Amino acid sequence: MDSSLTLSLSHTNSDTHDLIGTYFLEQWRLKSKAAVRKSESVMGVSENQYLMEIDSEECEEEKEELPTELDTLHSSGGFSIVGSDKLSVRYPNAHLHGHDVGVVQANRPAPCKRLVYYFEIFVENAGTKGQIAIGFTTPGFKLRRQPGWESNSYGYHGDDGLLYRGQGKGEAFGPAYSTGDTVGGGINYASQELFFTKNGTVVGTVFKDVKGPLFPTVAVHSQHEVVTVNFGKRPFVFDLKAYEAQERAKQNSTIEKLSIPQNASYGIVRAYLQHYGYEDTLKTFDVESRSTLPPISFVQENGFAEDVSVYSLNQRKVLRQLIRSGQIGDAFGKLRELYPQILQDGTSAICFLLHCQNFIELVRVGKLEEAVLYGRTEFEKFYKLGDYDDLVKDCAALLAYEQPQKSSVGYLLGDSQRDIVADAVNAMVLSTNPSVKDSRECLHSRLDRLLRQLSACFLAKRTFNGDQGEGFHLHRILNSGRKG
Amino acid sequence: MSLFWIVIRELAEIEAMATSKKVITREDWEKRLNDVKIRKEDMNKLVMNFLVTEGYVEAAEKFRKESGTDPDIDLATITDRMAVKKAVQAGNVEDAIEKVNDLNPEILDTNPQLFFHLQQQRLIELIRNGKIEEALEFAQEELAPRGEENQSFLEELEKTVALLAFEDVSNCPVGELLDVSQRLKTASEVNAAILTSQSHEKDPKLPSLLKMLIWAQNQLGEKAVFPRITDLSTAKLEDPPV
Repeated sequence: MDSSLTLSLSHTNSDTHDLIGTYFLEQWRLKSKAAVRKSESVMGVSENQYLMEIDSEECEEEKEELPTELDTLHSSGGFSIVGSDKLSVRYPNAHLHGHDVGVVQANRPAPCKRLVYYFEIFVENAGTKGQIAIGFTTPGFKLRRQPGWESNSYGYHGDDGLLYRGQGKGEAFGPAYSTGDTVGGGINYASQELFFTKNGTVVGTVFKDVKGPLFPTVAVHSQHEVVTVNFGKRPFVFDLKAYEAQERAKQNSTIEKLSIPQNASYGIVRAYLQHYGYEDTLKTFDVESRSTLPPISFVQENGFAEDVSVYSLNQRKVLRQLIRSGQIGDAFGKLRELYPQILQDGTSAICFLLHCQNFIELVRVGKLEEAVLYGRTEFEKFYKLGDYDDLVKDCAALLAYEQPQKSSVGYLLGDSQRDIVADAVNAMVLSTNPSVKDSRECLHSRLDRLLRQLSACFLAKRTFNGDQGEGFHLHRILNSGRKG
Repeated sequence: MSLFWIVIRELAEIEAMATSKKVITREDWEKRLNDVKIRKEDMNKLVMNFLVTEGYVEAAEKFRKESGTDPDIDLATITDRMAVKKAVQAGNVEDAIEKVNDLNPEILDTNPQLFFHLQQQRLIELIRNGKIEEALEFAQEELAPRGEENQSFLEELEKTVALLAFEDVSNCPVGELLDVSQRLKTASEVNAAILTSQSHEKDPKLPSLLKMLIWAQNQLGEKAVFPRITDLSTAKLEDPPV
């Protein structure tokens, strides 16, 4: 073989290693960050948890700050008094001029990277005239005017039940409201509508023609009026979850009407099992699908894709089993024997992952001295490289705790950490297939690629829509539809 | 970059200008794809949900072991459900009804339409097997009273009994009732009812996600030209059509 060719080949190889190894290191880092966040919230660092979307671990980028209280800085001076909790408004003096409306905006605009935003007010006292309004206004709204009186603002008024949206006259909308009523205002980003509720029931919707940010807004306009605001700290009177579910169902019924090739799912599941080397499942799946009625008439896709995925299926299965059961030494042995090229560069990301896992397994079984020794011999070279500092520290931190499972690095002892290593090794083995031209194809299964495409479409669409609307959350979809 | 790709890109840009759509290049799009975070656990759950809902009980058990993913339902119940489904598919409707009642008598009690369809399938099987007298008796005694309660049941009953009027059923207007597809339809209805009774969704989530992908690509396609996946079976990213 020509020596220059060998050189270029080995070069490609190390590129491949970097790409795959780095990818899985990033997977690890995601877990590490999530674990830190989790331990912080357990420790009570982020006190106002409801401010942040903590339920969605997977969508860190989706975090938007929510309105939490009324804005006391810009509220209209003497004409409304915001309570010390910043969640109530009272109209002070009698006999003020007709323009002296007490308007207060929330401290932040309504978040928009979601399906629906909603807040509620409770009318404690409708005062002498009951001229209370709930609505949405843009930044810089004139704070002596009722929401709806000015353009680019919307207000549902208590005294007449009319909706005002900057056109001078109000339009017939819903019932009037008064002392003892709970009234809500919401933004539906899917339909681009505003909606208002009274005592838990939607009273009407109106098209939202403002594209920019909107602030939840309340106004009081006559003596003794007192209103309290609920930005979600307490449960709403309105069943927001049910409303959201109903909105999603509308969208889903459109989606369900689309057609996909028969057995498309079947093929994708099969390819997934091949990709990750779940050989036992795959074989059983094939046997079971032969006995189904009607028998699955699955057209074999082009041979190439099949070849790539069944490549060294059994070896990948064995390696996964070893790693998942914590037998890292044996996995090393197997790799050395079958795919020595993977371990060739002792400072590669894949070697790092395996060494870390070996260390973790020693800690798990309580062989701490051995772990220390192992760490000293193996980690040093990685520490010097600089790329792995944070992860080496995470591993080493395991030694600091009597009960490492309960520490912030406890995630390292979880199944999913083994899985990252197993998936990394799996991808590395796939990349040793001579027919693989681009190692990136070894990273993602077909299912993975489809879900990525789906998510990217949602995000791109939202960008075109002024950042309004929901992203794609697989996690939420997986947890939906489970009753009881 | 090869000349071919330059030409392709230029053509895509021309198309985009003509329709005033924004062009998202392959390079940009791939970067976006790489930024997406899909969790392996979630994909495992999706696969498990498919195996469980479609009734691949052995595969689900193996997958639990190999991937460490917990099924969202007791695997033993899949076996029972599949036994019912298979009984209907094989034409043993009485057997299927008994099995459903063993599983949970409420399923048929609370679902008159399903019960009617099973009885109708039973009638079809009797006719298929040439048991004319038995079929007539069954229709009159078991099915006709139910038809009185519900107009659509009555129509279906009449349609089914019409099978008896033809010598050559394979060529008659209601012949499709004897087709295997009718059994499959009934079987899938029972299957769905059992899943619902177990507080489980009757359809796997994966096909809906695939449809959602097509929908999302179409939606985005109204605003932009971008690399799409049109062939679900390869999941290959394709350059914008020119």
